[in-house]
Parts: sequence; C-alpha cells; structure tokens
Amino acid sequence: MYLLRAIVRPEKSPVVMKALFNAGFPAVTKLAVFGRGKQRGLKVGDVTYDELPKEMLMIVIKESDKDFVIETILSSARSGEKGQFGDGKIFVTPVEESYTISSGKRD
Amino acid sequence: MLIRRILTFKSLEIMKLILAIIRIAKMTETKQLLSDAGLPSFTAMSVVGRGKGHGDLEKIIETAAPEHRELISAVPRLKSKRMITLVVTDAQKDLAVETLLKANQSGESGDGKIFVLNAIDSVRVRTGETGDITLD
Repeated sequence: MYLLRAIVRPEKSPVVMKALFNAGFPAVTKLAVFGRGKQRGLKVGDVTYDELPKEMLMIVIKESDKDFVIETILSSARSGEKGQFGDGKIFVTPVEESYTISSGKRD
Repeated sequence: MLIRRILTFKSLEIMKLILAIIRIAKMTETKQLLSDAGLPSFTAMSVVGRGKGHGDLEKIIETAAPEHRELISAVPRLKSKRMITLVVTDAQKDLAVETLLKANQSGESGDGKIFVLNAIDSVRVRTGETGDITLD
C-alpha cells in the first residue's frame, strides 16, 4: 500500500478528484495548504508571494494501482500540455497498515 | 524489510506515524482516551474527504423535495473530518490503534480510517534531541 500526497493547484483539485472518481478511485482526503517550490514563490512587481495556496490530496492505494493513479493525477493536474511552475508535486510513501474504523478491522 | 536493514546500522529505534481520519464530533472523546492511554501528543488538521460508499445518499434523496431529487449528484460528497497525526514508538503502535478504534468506532460508514506508516526519526525542536526519547 502507498500513500500518495499530491499537492496541486486549488482550481485543479475538482478536476483531479473527478478524474480519479471516474477511474474507479473515489476515496480521497483533501486539505488546504500553503507552500512554494524551488522558484521561491511568485514575484509581482515589488511584492513576493512566498506562500502560495495549494490543495493537498491524500489517497491510499494498492501497489498494483500506484502507477495508474499517479499518471491519472499527473495528467489531470498539469496546466496545459507542457505544464508550468506551480503545478505541484506528488510524494509517495509506503503505508504499513490500514484500518477501517467502522468495522474495526485491518484492511 | 529494507527500511529496517538500513536502520540497524544507526539504531534499532523505529517509529510509527499514525494518520487517523475521524469524525469532528469524536475529537473530544479521542483526545480524552489518547491522553488516558498515555499518548497525549498529536497534531490535528481540518480536512474534507470521502470514501468508497455512498453513505447517506439515500437519506438525502428521501428527505429532498421531489423537484430537487434529480439535481442530487450521485458522486459521493466531500465531508468535513479531522485528521490527527500521532508519532509513537513501535511498541506503542498497537495501543494507539486500539485507543483510536475504541474512541471512534460506531459501526456506521463515515467513522474513518487509520493509516500506519514508518517514521525514520523524530527531532525535538527545543533541544535538538532525536529518537524515541522525543516521543513522550
């Protein structure tokens, strides 16, 4: 099992979630975050915006689905064909155990 | 497992990072039970999300005015939850999971999920200490 943390543009998050839902992956947790990448934010005139609003989507998937889900997120979150700075990142971490609380059982 | 082999060169301490997505209304009881179990430390975030099921969709359709029923989306709606993050020692992991289940299990869908991940290290900002001693 893997946890995917996808940091995407806020306006892209409904697009990504819809693409995931249509691909058979409806379960997702979303949170509002702020951040910046190597570009150190955005400079507009004299003002530097060094904390940019993004949304983090968290999805836990089986190993066999990992590549497909990553590809789905990448293609739906990219802005335009070539993409731009600020499109975001996906981080992948292994999950040791998963429990469904309503049944109390380990998945 | 690869992570365990790397760590035997440094130390045998392995920690667990536990992510629990729970109902907002269950926060008070969860905090109380975790504290009683000797695991008071956590970080909480407001999140929205959904699982696989349609949960209360039928109830929503039933209670909606007839002219609104066709407007109700079949896509599961995003529900507000709390996500709490705990980092505990390997030995405390089972206690943490049991406590979270005890506080949050009602049997209804929407109770949430618990994910257990490995954490490589923990650092106390105040002192710079690392390792299990920072997990109080």
